[in-house]
Amino acid sequence: MAEFECRLKKYRQMKDLTQEQLAEKVGVRRETIMRLEKAQYNPSLKLAIDISRVVEVPIEEIFVFK
Amino acid sequence: MKTSKKKIWIGCGILCVLSVLLSLWYAVTYNDSRLVVPMDFKDYVFDIRDLPMIVSVSLTCVYLVTLFVMLFIYAGKKQRQTEETGVTRKINPKLGYLGILGFLGFSGFWIYPVDGTISAFAFFLFFGFFGFFYEGKMSGTFMDERFRENIARAKLKAYRITFWVMFAALVILCQGKLFGNLEYTLIAAIITLSLALALGIFLSEYLMYRYDHGNQIDEGEE
Repeated sequence: MAEFECRLKKYRQMKDLTQEQLAEKVGVRRETIMRLEKAQYNPSLKLAIDISRVVEVPIEEIFVFK
Repeated sequence: MKTSKKKIWIGCGILCVLSVLLSLWYAVTYNDSRLVVPMDFKDYVFDIRDLPMIVSVSLTCVYLVTLFVMLFIYAGKKQRQTEETGVTRKINPKLGYLGILGFLGFSGFWIYPVDGTISAFAFFLFFGFFGFFYEGKMSGTFMDERFRENIARAKLKAYRITFWVMFAALVILCQGKLFGNLEYTLIAAIITLSLALALGIFLSEYLMYRYDHGNQIDEGEE
């Protein structure tokens, strides 16, 4: 089974965003961002695209399936 | 619902209960407990002294039916509101104490030998209201995609457990007569089904809470 790695935290911090701010921008709860960063949650395609637009990094750079 | 409207409804309820109590007292004191003790309605002949009891019970029935219709409409309105705003309905966790009503199910063990009624056992279903403790804790939460996913997961697991419990209980009960009596088997079936449904109602809320709040110790922002 593919291993899921999420590099969101790194890119979020590069954009100087808090979890709360990012959550608000993409229309989810802070807990969801937290779970994403811990790779405990697989986002929907829409959420992945929204996040990638906010942090301005391609999806495949943020969410990595090894 | 506005507070003034609520007060009117509560007032009407109190009036209904008082009228029933008053007519009960009247029937027991002046009417040989007619319509109070179990009686054979095939031989029933109307007596003017039965009127207080008939009126008070009819009023209470009308009140209860209207109350249920109102609650049904109110629940539908709230459901639509929840869908529109994307926020879970506001519920006081203290409503979970309604689960205590489930203990009324034990009254069936007393009522059944007296008049053979088995419907009291269905009160065990109210144990499911303990789930309000958890729903209340999550009230007013924004339902994002992870939350909705967790709702579906929790409900699926709760229903699966419920159906397995029901299936296992029915298989066991259908093996033969419990204590050599078919009626006892049916009572056991009602109790088991009520408890299984209560478990389903409770579990869907409890599991939802668990999925949403799991590993909360690590939830701090870095």
